[in-house]
Amino acid sequence: MATPVLEIDGLSKRFGGVTAVDRVSLSLEPGRIYGLIGPNGSGKTTLFNCITGIERCQAGRVSFNGERIDGLKPYEIARKGIGRTFQVIRVFPELSALENLLVVTRGGLAEAEARALELLRFVKLEGLRNEYAGNLSYGQQKLVEFVRVLMRDPTLILLDEPAAGVNRTLLNDLLDAVRRLRDRGKTVLLVEHDMKVVMGLCETVFVLDHGEKIAEGEPGVIQTDERVIEAYFGR
Amino acid sequence: MNVAITPAMVGQVIISGILAGALYAMVALGLALIYGVMRVINIAHGPLLMLGAYTTFFLYSALGLNPYLSIPVTMAVLFLVGIGLQRTLVFRVVDAPELSSLLLTFGVSIALVNLAQLAFTSDLRAVEYLTGSLPLGPFAISKTRLVAFVFAAAVTALAFLFLQRTRLGKAIRATSQHREVAMVCGIDVQRIHMLTFGLATALAAAGGALLAVIVAIQPEMGQIWTFKSFLVLVLGGAGNYPGALLGGMLLGLVEQGASLFLTTQLSEVVAYLLLVVVLLVRPTGLLGGRQT
Amino acid sequence: MVLAVYPAFGTGYGVRAMLQIFMWIALAGSWNLISGLTGYVSFGHVAFFGAGAYTGAILIAKAGWPWLSAALAGGVGACAVALVIGYPCLRLKGPYFAIAMLGLNEVLRALVSYFEGLTGGGSGLSLPTLHATVPIYYAMAGTAATVTLLTYLIITSRFGLRLMTIREDELAAEAMGIDTARHKLYAFLLSAVGPGIAGALAARDQGYIEPMSVFPLATTITMIVMVLFGGKGTVWGPVLGAVVLFVSQEFVWARFPYVHQLLFGAIIVAVVLLMPRGVLGLLQIKYRLPRTI
Repeated sequence: MATPVLEIDGLSKRFGGVTAVDRVSLSLEPGRIYGLIGPNGSGKTTLFNCITGIERCQAGRVSFNGERIDGLKPYEIARKGIGRTFQVIRVFPELSALENLLVVTRGGLAEAEARALELLRFVKLEGLRNEYAGNLSYGQQKLVEFVRVLMRDPTLILLDEPAAGVNRTLLNDLLDAVRRLRDRGKTVLLVEHDMKVVMGLCETVFVLDHGEKIAEGEPGVIQTDERVIEAYFGR
Repeated sequence: MNVAITPAMVGQVIISGILAGALYAMVALGLALIYGVMRVINIAHGPLLMLGAYTTFFLYSALGLNPYLSIPVTMAVLFLVGIGLQRTLVFRVVDAPELSSLLLTFGVSIALVNLAQLAFTSDLRAVEYLTGSLPLGPFAISKTRLVAFVFAAAVTALAFLFLQRTRLGKAIRATSQHREVAMVCGIDVQRIHMLTFGLATALAAAGGALLAVIVAIQPEMGQIWTFKSFLVLVLGGAGNYPGALLGGMLLGLVEQGASLFLTTQLSEVVAYLLLVVVLLVRPTGLLGGRQT
Repeated sequence: MVLAVYPAFGTGYGVRAMLQIFMWIALAGSWNLISGLTGYVSFGHVAFFGAGAYTGAILIAKAGWPWLSAALAGGVGACAVALVIGYPCLRLKGPYFAIAMLGLNEVLRALVSYFEGLTGGGSGLSLPTLHATVPIYYAMAGTAATVTLLTYLIITSRFGLRLMTIREDELAAEAMGIDTARHKLYAFLLSAVGPGIAGALAARDQGYIEPMSVFPLATTITMIVMVLFGGKGTVWGPVLGAVVLFVSQEFVWARFPYVHQLLFGAIIVAVVLLMPRGVLGLLQIKYRLPRTI
């Protein structure tokens, strides 16, 4: 079996008295799409933050392609090949769409620009490339954030609620894009509340509740898991 | 540097440190409130303290009011000034990026200091009321500092009681923890902001009033207090109100301790280095507060 | 071109005034590099002016250096101070950094007084007399031009874009692989060179320096007002601000020192509330001007 792209072992994160992530362990194989679901406040975004180094965890280990990354700075982790989007869009508002993409690259400017234009074309935003990102619509900003992540050609892509606030057509394009990324060998882990998206897209789903992983498996199986139903609808 | 350090000297340092610490704590509490409730870094805090000192001075020299008994008056006056500032200027930057509130309060502080220069000139003033020290065993306790300590401790204690016990105080604490939730709970956040700023200004003014008897009064006297109040917050944990107490005491002790070995000029450098070191090691302060 | 030949026909007063304007352009432009681009407000920037002044003055007075080399050394000295301060302080997040810089002025003044032997302490340091106002005019003009050019080069480069992301969203920048600490440090170092050289040149021109004259808070305040007014984060904003405010200062306010400081404070408040991007920033947005303005 190939080395897992991402391996999390016993990860725990506390904020004062609140345990946001409680001894979570999971493993991601390359070239698959994974989902991370759970009721609000179950620790999904915190888990993302721990993986990407934005939060320092009290316990546990995170390994990327066999190499430990817990404790590294966020930019170091990003440079190793992990990209992420945010729950609340974080484009750089006073940079243009094109600049948003260029700013994350290093090295050959010409290639970077070509790649940026290609990605903008892909999400049909080429015409707005010189527009301040802050002036774009919500959906457009989301797309810019999405392709910005792709600029560095990451191996593992973490998407935090990619479907939120996106209209149907755009959403289908996005999901297609995710599938194509998977076909090219990338690994995607997404947090999502929209169950249709999760069921239709993800091959394996993890369920968090109160920071703990309570289930793991195929979407169809998860749907009928008692603990999952309890977590969402209460006892 | 061959200085024999006697236990008496250490004792003196501790006493002086605690006396100074209460004053630091009280003034810093004001700054903490503004930051905690509004996320605004009030660079004008020092100049407001300075205004408090001048108010006390003028009440004393023009009306002959006892500088200690007039503290409530000074506090009330500056309370209104604080509310005025908040209502006209500060409220506009409460939700803006931190850069804006920094620059705004910076501008206000410059304006206040120069207004004072124009109005009062930079002639040194002083309130001659109490002088000398009380001997206590091998220690000498400056009278003015002792009284300042008593007042500062009392005012700080009252402030904490207010925050813990009264409905308004609890509303303030709630707002500093989570503004949206406070709003949903029916708390008039705008009013809380106004009152908090006023209260914080009153605390700074009290500090100024107490200082009026201890040091020379001049328009620039507040600047260093702004910095020291921040230092106290950093030491005690920003957003953590009891932390202001700890931080104040720590600063007082460290400063007095440093003055054993270094000249007063260098003790400021020590304070500065302390700030940088603490910020590097524990950005949330020693007691751990909220991360910015 | 006019500026280049100005000393030939300008009055002594005129040349000095232009010299001052160039100095402020260099100072404001440099402050813009760190605070305008990255959003990290440096309240202690005059520290670099003073550091450069003292470095230059000591080299001239005690080691007999020619003033031009001493000026360049002033830039280096200021950079060294920036490194020592910036390395720890820039790791702090925005507001904490600002606080740390606030305290810097006082500390430096105390240090200079303390090391009396070298610096002449509170009574100051005298330089051998030299009438070199015209060459210094050119040197200062050169410094101002260099700072402006540097700003242009940075703003049009990816390095500049990265600095701006620090201002826009530092967390996201980090998450995208940008080493924000290193970038902030570079910007900080670059922003110290201008004031350092200008400080040394000014010291040479005055012939005498003392702690009060080279570390006044007023200098930082003036730098800040100029940039805020003209447009932070733009190339020509600091130039505009420097010219407009210096001229106003000379003709209107110089007679009333406290009034003019008071006005500066009021301008800062007004700009923050009404025109946060400054004059050029406002025009940039309104008329969709390129960023190189």
